[in-house]
Amino acid sequence: MRSGGGSGRPSGGRGGAAGRDGKGGPRKKFFVRRRKVCKFCAEKLEYIDWKDVKLLQGFIPERGKILPRRISGTCALHQRKLQTAIKRARSIALLPYATD
Amino acid sequence: MRLYDIVVLVTPDLNDEDATKVAAEYKKILTDGGATVVKDEPWGKRRLAFPIQRKREAHYHYWQVEAAPAAVAEAERRMGLSDQVLRHLAVRVDEELKRSAKMAERLRIKAAKRPPRPAAAPVPPAESVPAERSEP
Repeated sequence: MRSGGGSGRPSGGRGGAAGRDGKGGPRKKFFVRRRKVCKFCAEKLEYIDWKDVKLLQGFIPERGKILPRRISGTCALHQRKLQTAIKRARSIALLPYATD
Repeated sequence: MRLYDIVVLVTPDLNDEDATKVAAEYKKILTDGGATVVKDEPWGKRRLAFPIQRKREAHYHYWQVEAAPAAVAEAERRMGLSDQVLRHLAVRVDEELKRSAKMAERLRIKAAKRPPRPAAAPVPPAESVPAERSEP
């Protein structure tokens, strides 16, 4: 499969540095990355209700911060709406600003 | 007239009845200002996510009202002055709801259009592409 990486080694001097760099990753990248899909797009929820604590809580990890887009997979548009919804919910103490 | 979501948090020191009375005062300000109440949902005594004025719970009252901006502004001003109201929030929702309804409509139309496509597509493009590529 990765015969190129193996054959680079015995030739020693030639392109040594590059060979070592390549040697850094002999393990195969084998975890299957699930494709993230924006939850709101998938369920066709256009309006994100700031009163819906259960929904919003899913985007609040332990610390009380807003879950970043890169982790939740939410699209930009919905992340922005989610953000204002969470902030509104915080202002009337439905959600915490911070927890420790 | 605009549609607003309004939430009022009343002190837990009062019992349920008195709390609803306090909330009703503000509802009256709104209705006196020409508002109509669309939804009226007392959420009851809830735990707060964080203490406000050393209090860990509050009576939540939620209304959806169709009101003039001036009436809402007045009600909010009075809520701010009151000691019995811990927090209040009024959000205009009509535009947001309208937009979401429009988007939902658009999605529905798009979904309705989609099915006929895949059956027609596959054959013709395969022939035309290689012929054009060979010339330049």
